[in-house]
Amino acid sequence: MLNRVLLLCLALVWTVSVSVTAQDVAEGGIDTLSLPLPAPAQNVVAANHVYDDGEVIDVNWDKSPDDPENILGYIVYRAETDGAFDSIRTLLPGETFFSDDNVEDEIPYKYQIGVIGENGVSLSGESELAVATWELFNFGMWNTFLWMFVFCGSVIGFIISAKSGRKLYIRKIGGLEALEEAVGRATEMGRPILFIPGILDMDDVQTLAAITILGKVARVVADYDSKIRMPVSRSLVLTAARETIKESYTSAGRPDGYNEDMVQYVTDEQFGYVAAVNGIMVREKPATCLYLGAFFAESLILAETGNSIGAIQIAGTARPGQLPFFVAACDYTLIGEELFAASAYLSEDPKQLGSLKGQDVGKVIAMFGLLVGTAAMTLSVAWQVPATQWILDLMNNLFTTN
Amino acid sequence: METFGIWLAALLTIGIISFLYKDNVLYKACESIFVGISAGYWFITYYWDNLYRKFYLGVTDMDNPHRFFLWIAFALGVMMLTRLIGKIGWLSRWPLAFIVGATAGLYMMTYFVSNAFVQVGATIKLPPDFGSVGSYISFGMIALGTFSGLVYFFFSKEHKGVFGGTAKLGIWFLMVTFGASFGYTVMSRMSLMLGRLDFLFGEWLGMIN
Amino acid sequence: MKKQIPILITATVGTVLVLSVFFPPAKMLGEDFSLFFDIIAVFAFFLGGGNLVRVHFIKVYRRKSDWVYSVVTLVGFTMMLASGLFKLGGPPGISGSVTADGSYLNTMFIHIIAPLSSTMYALLAFFVASASYRAFRAKNREATILLIAAFVILLGRTPLGMMATGWVWESLSIFQIPNLAVWVMNVPNLAGQRSILIGVGLGVVAMSLRLILGMDRTYLGGDND
Repeated sequence: MLNRVLLLCLALVWTVSVSVTAQDVAEGGIDTLSLPLPAPAQNVVAANHVYDDGEVIDVNWDKSPDDPENILGYIVYRAETDGAFDSIRTLLPGETFFSDDNVEDEIPYKYQIGVIGENGVSLSGESELAVATWELFNFGMWNTFLWMFVFCGSVIGFIISAKSGRKLYIRKIGGLEALEEAVGRATEMGRPILFIPGILDMDDVQTLAAITILGKVARVVADYDSKIRMPVSRSLVLTAARETIKESYTSAGRPDGYNEDMVQYVTDEQFGYVAAVNGIMVREKPATCLYLGAFFAESLILAETGNSIGAIQIAGTARPGQLPFFVAACDYTLIGEELFAASAYLSEDPKQLGSLKGQDVGKVIAMFGLLVGTAAMTLSVAWQVPATQWILDLMNNLFTTN
Repeated sequence: METFGIWLAALLTIGIISFLYKDNVLYKACESIFVGISAGYWFITYYWDNLYRKFYLGVTDMDNPHRFFLWIAFALGVMMLTRLIGKIGWLSRWPLAFIVGATAGLYMMTYFVSNAFVQVGATIKLPPDFGSVGSYISFGMIALGTFSGLVYFFFSKEHKGVFGGTAKLGIWFLMVTFGASFGYTVMSRMSLMLGRLDFLFGEWLGMIN
Repeated sequence: MKKQIPILITATVGTVLVLSVFFPPAKMLGEDFSLFFDIIAVFAFFLGGGNLVRVHFIKVYRRKSDWVYSVVTLVGFTMMLASGLFKLGGPPGISGSVTADGSYLNTMFIHIIAPLSSTMYALLAFFVASASYRAFRAKNREATILLIAAFVILLGRTPLGMMATGWVWESLSIFQIPNLAVWVMNVPNLAGQRSILIGVGLGVVAMSLRLILGMDRTYLGGDND
């Protein structure tokens, strides 16, 4: 293996140094090397990459008959209509496809494939000229468009239905039911509630989810006349959080209860922020700690420190890698989707609850796809039932991205 | 300077580790240094990287087709600062609204495709080793686990009866997932502490080579 | 009005970016957003940095408890700003890298931020141990399943796993702990991950839709200021 890699490196160096010679071979068709060369690649086809913004040309070819035993790799050459060929990429044996994303639109290019052997490079014939063009609509994403349409349509449909007064049932979510109780406990104990919105900025959806939940939590805090403490690691989150808490206090009829110092910027540095939050925890001993948003390695440090001070802890994140630590160290954990559903659930607004019903429609579609797809696969492949093949193809078409 | 740097790093390391015993003067000092220095570091990074390189060099480059857009971004940034001016403070909501709208719009599609769509598609794809009894069991279990996990996340129906039983199965699968992530991470976390101990006893005290 | 325009901005920008995915010529809008965001974030930092200075300055001014540490924070912050803005110790000129070798900023990063960061990170070794202990004490079925899975993966990644189960017959080799660990990772773990990811995907779409439709807008604050 090592020898092959070394040989490939040597061949690459050699290839660059003799590229001029190789081009002479291509142009003049004269083999200047006396040793046998590998068989060339064949049927080089270059074509516009469909459904893009005119920046890519796809190149396909048939493998050299000597691939993989007697070749070290492939070189892709490119030239403009009357220009000379330049080497643009070296690929490993076995490759038969290359996407050239370094082209300018509306300029025709032709391609040639070189097969690297131990004794030199053999060149294929030239491809036809190809031009990268852009398309207005990505028809390759028809299935995404379809499902998006169905899903968004059902969310909006349930919202409208709720608006017209229809009662919608949503089951109780343990972690969210416990939120009010946790705020009440903090009020009784006269201690603050610590709200940690993760460590990412406002350009992350989990932070957005955290901010929307903050609105509901701050409303309960304002109603109970409790205290909220929110150290943040991003300046934009500081601004958004302040606006959110202020709005919650105003809507609770207690605008005077709001204080800008409830939210405090610490630092953007991940562990610097964690060090400061740990300090706040052990010194101020909040009765309730809420960790909602995007968390990384700090999840366990925060949750364990919160545990050591005996706080009620509710966490929620969409990062599967951090969920186990929250599950192990917190009283309640909102797993993935529950984090995004929380603000709608807590709002008790029928319209927002309607959107949760819409989410369930998405799950029904996914479950339907799983059931039909796996059944069709088992029947078609394991028991060789030919009639099910078209169902399998249909399901693959419906759930495969382009 | 190098020796001073090593001593400083060693003291800071001990200061942070001392938090495991209890909050103390050394930890508080380390925490304050960490917050002040790192906040300054990030501001400088943002300043040179974003304001100077991305904005200033961007708008002064006459060949840059995005020059006009950069000025819009700049204007939105300035609006952010109106928060400091009471009367027109409400203008700072515009950049915030822009960011929230853009994040929602951008990630709505990204998450839908990469999470929901691709994962369903991947579950009904033929696994490479499909054919053996073991592969049938594994294939079935992946489908069953994914299905029951989704039942667990269902909001519209109470977890009772057969539905509740399936949701319970979903929780078990989720617990295996969490356990697997937990077990997978433990070793790497241990090696981090070994790295710091290696620094203290090796590079600083020279007790180990 | 003060709230209507921002709602309109959110709705317009959000809708355009959703649709841009289906229209290749509009693909670059997503990249432009990240550039926009970076520039807005710098201005936001003036508010964040200002808040940091204000909070600690008030603490020092009013001689609140532990005010001395606030002095340390303020000195550290100012030192870094001075080193970085004037590029002290680094290559001269506006185009010289602020984090070049020898610059004060880089030196402080290497000798202060890096060791502090890695030590905070390393504390996880202890916290993982205490969390494991807690999980071990929890006596319910879910916690037991979590622990068994963790134990299998942990053993499977060490030589102990093979030592303990290497004697198992070849035909039952799936029950050798390293093989079992691979199976757990590839099958039940994958299934759980997939259900989480699918749920997250749907949850993000619904939440984004609520934001774009202006149903959830507490982040825009009240009308009265």
